[in-house]
Amino acid sequence: MQRTTDHSHQHDSMPATPKKIKLAAGNDTLSIEWSDGHVSAYPYRYLRDKCPCATCSESGPSPHADPGPFPILGQKPLKPERAELVGRYALQIYWSDGHSAGIYSFTYLRESCPCAECTGKDSGEEAAPQVS
Amino acid sequence: MGNRLTPQDVLNALRAVKDPDLRRDIVSLGFVKDLEVSDSRVSFTIQLTTPACPVRDQLADQARQAVQALGVRNVEVRMTSQVMGGGRGKNELIPNVKNTVAVASGKGGVGKSTVAANLAVALQRAGASVGLMDTDVYGPSVPALMGGSAAPTVVDGKIEPPVEYGIKLISMAYFLPKDEAVIWRGPMLHKTIQQFLGDVRWGELDYLIMDLPPGTGDIQLSLSQTIPLTGAVIVSTPQDLALTVASKAIAMFQKLNVPILGIVENMSYHLCPQCGHREDIFGHGGAREAANKLGFPFLGEIPLDVNVRIQSDSGKPVALDEATTYGKAFQEIAGALAAQISVANFQGGQEISIE
Repeated sequence: MQRTTDHSHQHDSMPATPKKIKLAAGNDTLSIEWSDGHVSAYPYRYLRDKCPCATCSESGPSPHADPGPFPILGQKPLKPERAELVGRYALQIYWSDGHSAGIYSFTYLRESCPCAECTGKDSGEEAAPQVS
Repeated sequence: MGNRLTPQDVLNALRAVKDPDLRRDIVSLGFVKDLEVSDSRVSFTIQLTTPACPVRDQLADQARQAVQALGVRNVEVRMTSQVMGGGRGKNELIPNVKNTVAVASGKGGVGKSTVAANLAVALQRAGASVGLMDTDVYGPSVPALMGGSAAPTVVDGKIEPPVEYGIKLISMAYFLPKDEAVIWRGPMLHKTIQQFLGDVRWGELDYLIMDLPPGTGDIQLSLSQTIPLTGAVIVSTPQDLALTVASKAIAMFQKLNVPILGIVENMSYHLCPQCGHREDIFGHGGAREAANKLGFPFLGEIPLDVNVRIQSDSGKPVALDEATTYGKAFQEIAGALAAQISVANFQGGQEISIE
């Protein structure tokens, strides 16, 4: 019986996967440290708006989460209460607004990285002066 | 006096012995244990990552020769094994199961269940602790393939799986009258998969082999989402049609980040029992070509033989007898699979932490 001896390229094509996921990396940021060394920082609101579940991607997430029966009490600040790995390929985030249907695949998360390098916003251009 | 052999000398010599699958030497892999060196005698243990290691004897010989080359006459090499698991992700449902392997195909009828059952038998016979889970809820066939009349029992609210040929088994067939059919939609299937994992007393297992239904549907998705699978084995017959559909199963697992451990070609060729003439009924070698093209390990081929069918139907998997062509084929495929599982665990065994 023969076996293929070189199949290393199979693993080269494996996409980057998270090494470390910090739910509260900053005040309102979730961060992911990837196997290739890249670090992504996602603001909560940005990530919540990116929810890939059928309901959210069909109609877009509600601009404001359900205020509940007592809107006078104000809204709980949006944050991930917890998160779980889904198999080997995704992250399920349980948001403080009660929504948890979104399964964020690692590929999707990486594609959604908002950093300048990933979005290509810094390509050769001088950074626009900050407006404060 | 100055030439006295030290343990370090022996280890240095053993660094020349490489595991061909992991492509590292057995010393840096930490395989060498219990090294004892005296004037005329050296003894040590090589602890492999699987009892089904296909190069077990080869490694033992190479290690012995490497030490003999130092001028030691009396070299004792003991071989043992400790199956590793991957660290990838949490596995709360089955914390004591080290490796989970999905046996899948694109098309039906290519012999997934037969391959799954025989791989389980071959791994068990090599000395591993093995479970076999029949996830084909609509067309369960594992109990028929594995024979026996034992049924699951319930102990303390959990299912105690029946054991045949030393393998723990679970299947929907155990819970249904013979002529009844399961007519369910997806959510029920998902629940069943979760129960087969979490509510069955699997105990400590080196390998849990999972026989999947054909295709890329609810069961495959549920399984890939519920546990971090160690990897998948793709079974195909050699003809183009089956291979084309098999590549869809491969695409699904890649999307779900489940490593493809290799491809098995079933019904590879037929040897006429009368005259010994070989007939490549479905063509031959197609799966090997596909594996090479896609860059996946080719694990081996199983001939189309009436005895495989007869023994499968009578609940005596052919892998129980390594003296036959097909029994030997399964033994070799199980070895190649076990080696690929070790490779996958070495390469992707990284824990993802959430804090």
